[in-house]
Amino acid sequence: MGGLTNALDHVLPSAAFQLARRFADGATMWCVAPQWPEHARHLAVEFVHPVVVGARALPAVSVPGPDPVGALRAAVRAGDIVAVVSSAADPVALELVRRGPAWGATTLWLATGNGVMDSSADLTVRVDDADGTAPFDGRLVLHYHLLWELTHVCFEHPGLLERRDETDEVVCVTCRDDGRLAEVVRVSVDGHDVEVRTASGHEHADGTLVTPLVPDDLVLVHAGSVIARVGAS
Amino acid sequence: MTDFLYPFLDHDEDDLDALLDDLTRSAHDKADISAALVESTLEQLDGDLHAAARDVAECLVRGGRLLTFGNGGSSTDASGLAALFATPPHGPPLPAVALTGDSAVLTALGNDVGFPLVFSRQVIAYAAPDDVAVGFSTSGNSANLLMAFDAARDRGLLTVGFAGYDGGDMAGAGLDHCLVVRSDSIHRIQETQAALGFALWRMVHAELDGSHAHA
Repeated sequence: MGGLTNALDHVLPSAAFQLARRFADGATMWCVAPQWPEHARHLAVEFVHPVVVGARALPAVSVPGPDPVGALRAAVRAGDIVAVVSSAADPVALELVRRGPAWGATTLWLATGNGVMDSSADLTVRVDDADGTAPFDGRLVLHYHLLWELTHVCFEHPGLLERRDETDEVVCVTCRDDGRLAEVVRVSVDGHDVEVRTASGHEHADGTLVTPLVPDDLVLVHAGSVIARVGAS
Repeated sequence: MTDFLYPFLDHDEDDLDALLDDLTRSAHDKADISAALVESTLEQLDGDLHAAARDVAECLVRGGRLLTFGNGGSSTDASGLAALFATPPHGPPLPAVALTGDSAVLTALGNDVGFPLVFSRQVIAYAAPDDVAVGFSTSGNSANLLMAFDAARDRGLLTVGFAGYDGGDMAGAGLDHCLVVRSDSIHRIQETQAALGFALWRMVHAELDGSHAHA
């Protein structure tokens, strides 16, 4: 299991700390595993009904069904956590971590596989999986067990959880110099007035530069205008 | 002076790096313990796993299916094993059904006849003699698993149990195969049970390949 070393050094511990901080602020963790729904359920039940007597129950919900993007669009509130468990190339996972910032969510991606990975998740934990068996032989389970165990260690340090310091920039997208990520909610008939959802709430932007826009498009908003459409959708 | 009242104001509470170092050490320790438990258990139970794999393969050759079940995290491990058999990462699929996935069935049975019967009633409804009942528990004491194994044995099914600690009541329940992970950490038991399930799956395929070669 030598491949665990990289993920366990700092990456997984930092992810656990960020989860603890979000939970302390009232986050709900939404768990999705498009390829292996049982792993989403296992991750959620760890937090909701801890095996260690006396450990705090934390709000985590597994999201089954054929359209997790649609389900989470409705369910996620700003400040929540979207936790995705999948292989590193899963298209639904990619879609979720791309949209997380527009919903104001912290995104955690527990990704199996050894290939080059393009992750825009706030927290990416790679699970070494050269032979494709980590989801079945206990190695993936180990990683989210450790996430749960370390998150609860963090709760023993409430002073650190309450502090606001440079680690917050991990989830900050509002200062991206190329614009803020947003999701289109509705578009006026002439296409000029676009209501968008961003990390800080709903707002209106000018849509004349990028047409035609349709609801659920992922876009960049800058200086009151939609300046680009993001990604494939 | 007020440390006993406000431990979170302690100097250490300013030191995020120290906490992250502690967490990293802890993660490595736990991962090492998990890997060592997986390795020693696979070695200890090698004979039992092969014997179970032979019996499971025979049932499958006769047209049987795996029926898997468990509670909580173990219910997801049961679902995972069924998924591994039925929709494997490679190799041919084998019939396996998890009795944990249908909330309509689970809540109907839990509400109408009680939670101890949620798996046994499904075994009674679905099982044929060549099927295999596979239950996952960390304590080995879950009443609904023990009842499901009783119902399975009454119908002539092969029974395979995964347990932890000292095997609990499952160890004395007369199962055909009871695979016990000797640990008292629920997390490490579950990780090792997954590794055992994976090893069982590989061995079942090896048995089936062998029986085809000799057919």
